[in-house]
Amino acid sequence: MTRYASFACSVATATLAATIAVTLPTAAEAAWQPNKPIEFVVTSGPGGGTDNFARVVQAIIAKHKLTDQPIIVTNKGGGSGAEGYIYAKTVPGDPSKVIFGTNNAYLLPYVAKLAFTPADLTPVAALALDEFLLWVNGESEFKTAKDYLAAVKAKPETFKMGGSQSKDTDQTLTSLLEATAGVKFIYVPFQGGGAAATQLAGKHIDSNTNNPNENIGQWKAGQVKPLCVFSATRLPAGPKVSGDMGWGDIPTCKDAGVAIDRFQMPRTVWLPAKVPADAVAFYTDMLKKVSETPEWKEYVERTVQTGKFMAGAELKAFIADDDAKNKQVFEREGWLVK
Amino acid sequence: MVTRFQAELATASITAAFGLAVMVGATEFGIGWVKSGPEPGTFPFYMGLLVTVASIGTVVQALLSPALRGEAFLDAGQCRTVAAFVLPMIAFVVVAKLLGLYVATALYLFGSMLFQGGYRVWSSAAVAIAAPVVLYLVLERAFKVYLLKGPIESALGF
Amino acid sequence: MEGFSALLHGFGVALSGYHLALMVIGVLLGILVGVLPGLGAPNGVSLLLPLTFTMDPVAAIILLTSIYWGALFGGSTTSILFNIPGEPSSVATTFDGYPLAKQGQATQALSYAFLSAGFGALVGVVLITALSGWVARFALKFSSPEYFAVYFLAFASFVGLGGASPFKTVTSIGIGFALAAVGMDSVSGSLRLTFGLDQFIAGMSFLVAVIGLFGLGELVMTIETGMKLEGIRARISPRAVFETLLQMPRYWVALVRSAAVGCWMGITPGGPTAASFMSYGLAKRFSRRRSNFGRGEPEGVVSPETADHAAGTSAMLPMLALGVPGSATAAVMLGGLMIWGLNPGPMLFIERPDFVWGLVASMYLGNVVAVLLVLTTVPFFAAILRVPFAIIGPIIVVVCFVGAYTVASREFDLWLVLAFGAVGYAFKKLDYPIAPLVLAMVIGDKAEDAFRQSLIMSKGSAAIFWSNPLVASLMALALLLLFWPLLGGIARAMSRRARGPAA
Repeated sequence: MTRYASFACSVATATLAATIAVTLPTAAEAAWQPNKPIEFVVTSGPGGGTDNFARVVQAIIAKHKLTDQPIIVTNKGGGSGAEGYIYAKTVPGDPSKVIFGTNNAYLLPYVAKLAFTPADLTPVAALALDEFLLWVNGESEFKTAKDYLAAVKAKPETFKMGGSQSKDTDQTLTSLLEATAGVKFIYVPFQGGGAAATQLAGKHIDSNTNNPNENIGQWKAGQVKPLCVFSATRLPAGPKVSGDMGWGDIPTCKDAGVAIDRFQMPRTVWLPAKVPADAVAFYTDMLKKVSETPEWKEYVERTVQTGKFMAGAELKAFIADDDAKNKQVFEREGWLVK
Repeated sequence: MVTRFQAELATASITAAFGLAVMVGATEFGIGWVKSGPEPGTFPFYMGLLVTVASIGTVVQALLSPALRGEAFLDAGQCRTVAAFVLPMIAFVVVAKLLGLYVATALYLFGSMLFQGGYRVWSSAAVAIAAPVVLYLVLERAFKVYLLKGPIESALGF
Repeated sequence: MEGFSALLHGFGVALSGYHLALMVIGVLLGILVGVLPGLGAPNGVSLLLPLTFTMDPVAAIILLTSIYWGALFGGSTTSILFNIPGEPSSVATTFDGYPLAKQGQATQALSYAFLSAGFGALVGVVLITALSGWVARFALKFSSPEYFAVYFLAFASFVGLGGASPFKTVTSIGIGFALAAVGMDSVSGSLRLTFGLDQFIAGMSFLVAVIGLFGLGELVMTIETGMKLEGIRARISPRAVFETLLQMPRYWVALVRSAAVGCWMGITPGGPTAASFMSYGLAKRFSRRRSNFGRGEPEGVVSPETADHAAGTSAMLPMLALGVPGSATAAVMLGGLMIWGLNPGPMLFIERPDFVWGLVASMYLGNVVAVLLVLTTVPFFAAILRVPFAIIGPIIVVVCFVGAYTVASREFDLWLVLAFGAVGYAFKKLDYPIAPLVLAMVIGDKAEDAFRQSLIMSKGSAAIFWSNPLVASLMALALLLLFWPLLGGIARAMSRRARGPAA
């Protein structure tokens, strides 16, 4: 489960997005149509968050017959997803290759020496934002994020924070948390969010920053509990998940006294560089339709993500902002290569 | 004729070179042991070292056993047989890269059956055409797994 | 037996004409993808996943798990007939399965494989039925040090086998571990040993390596010695299948031990591939017919197959109860569970008992269906060996290359498989053991990750590997197995000395 981080739109971005009229071409205007099978290139292994994202989109397109061409999904998750983006670089101008990822498309080249740059990709759209929460073991004595962080502060480098991969969303968020709260964790990188969830349930680590979907099973069983959500507002109130708690009952980290207002990861879709503008318009339109289906809304709700369709200038502004904020953390941690 | 001695030396030199390459590659990320355990390069570095040292051991062992110098690894006849099998295989990969796997499969099967198997042209051609068609139906049609294609397929509109 | 009444309920859910039909379809599809090297259960499962979105979850999971069972069975077929492992977990089956088939006993070899596989799977499901609650709690005790100990145990029980030169064995192991390190290092987030080449970023595919090492390497050996595939005169009769069935009880020790190893590795989760290697290693070490291993010993087929399937089956439990996928296929199925609106985790057993126990019941039925179906295919597959070598040889070459390509659709893998073929041939001729290389490739990166995670947790203190009774006993057992040949040698030397003066 390759996941890359993001602090979502700042006020500036939001204003920018609001001022720029987002012009989406309608189907009639999109003259371009695919004339051969479309390949969905997934930048994670089978079963990862990005894989599920791409396969849900595939299923929705098939169900609503949004294109006549068959869609093939291929997993190119090697090198934390770099394999998929490098593949895109080898097929410039080919509009039949659609790449599914997160913000790793523009963040990976910072932390690893790779043969692609964001310029090798054409951004198409972002469909959702995945949320991050601070979790501790269900039997933990800590009731609030403030209590927990105070304890961490008292004993630096004692508490273990687990996460998926290295120099990735979870570690970036951990680093932010350390800088904001003036604490120091032992960060333990696992293969994926599932492993981080089990390790927390088994009390081998003290906390993790998993996405809702990665910890929901353990939370239901009371093996882990959320302290706060790294979002500007509370998650939408839904049915109770564990005991008398639902997603909407979790305080935001800002309210809980942790000065990080937002940390989210966009689910993004890309094309190779140098594709015709018509093709970008076609896919933008198709994905926009996907994001409006009940199936998509249901997927977003079930995985407790925030459904937010972004394309065109709004997406560009989002990327620029997210890129700059992450780069700051990478610089501070000394993760930048070369 | 290739003697067993020569083959042992050649193989051990290649594995030693591999070991050295791994050691050099591993130094990029540090090969020490820091506070939080081994650095990223440590494990590959020592594996490379192990391979290099063991390869030298094999070389020494070969030098010390004179029997190997007389022992045949490949005689001239075997050499020809192996070459006749391996060279078309390499050609297959080259053709696959240029013209795609379907065309390479057809050409390779046709050539092998005709020249090595001694089959008639029509039966060789039948197998050579049937095999890619079966591959296409099973992989692309049934399992949506797409094979490497070349200019010929795109000219035909696949 | 908390699960027994629940299981009966599950059979009520699973036993319907519709579900049985899905099982048959799934198993047949699975056998097909299993037989084709390169394609595997993940292909079959991800192909059908979109179709299942509209099915009810029980029917969907029955279909997908049936593909998994079918693929596990099908993977052994090409291992035995052509020395090409159709699935990573059937590599160990080639060690004795292929020699057995070469002796004209292809039918027996396949029957041994399928029957013991069926037995292993059955033990795995019984374990899930009887001990689901306990197993889920036990699995939570595992953290990085325990994982490392499990991999170390698998490795220790396998290495040190055979009479190969120690230098050559070490070379082989070292190469395997080095190859496993290529690509992204998840602990540090850096790309290792890529030498700036894009082709190495995704790492070395294990399946590409074994297709080259075993499949192509063996083919060149066959050509060189001027041999034809020797299964030509294989007696192909349904009777041979039944005769093999009657032979099975003779291997009860191997069956029980391998099933135990398999269940253990499935839960911990070392995985089916490591389980089959470990089981083969133990069988060879403790068998009375030790010297016959590698030359077509039925016990060398029975052991890895039983463990492979016991592990594959019992690995479903951590997947459902913890949400941790033990294999690529399990990962795809987990994704499916979420898409169907189910959350894998401890509560799944309580919230959706009909789903869980319907699935468990379908595992009993699915494996029975799979054994029956796959046994009927034995004469058909054995008949492939009758095709003249001039045709089947080049076709195997094509299957090897196409299989290697379909693993990840990488052009570069065509060259890699060629290179591994050359290595396989040279190593085989010069008596380098290949199996340790393969095992090192399978567990190398996972073992290294677990080792480094452990040390990050303990701030660099190696004492973490002795920090609790569980990890300490695993490490002690592993060390014991590692030095077993040495201990055996000392014991023999001492008994010889004791007998010496008397003689």
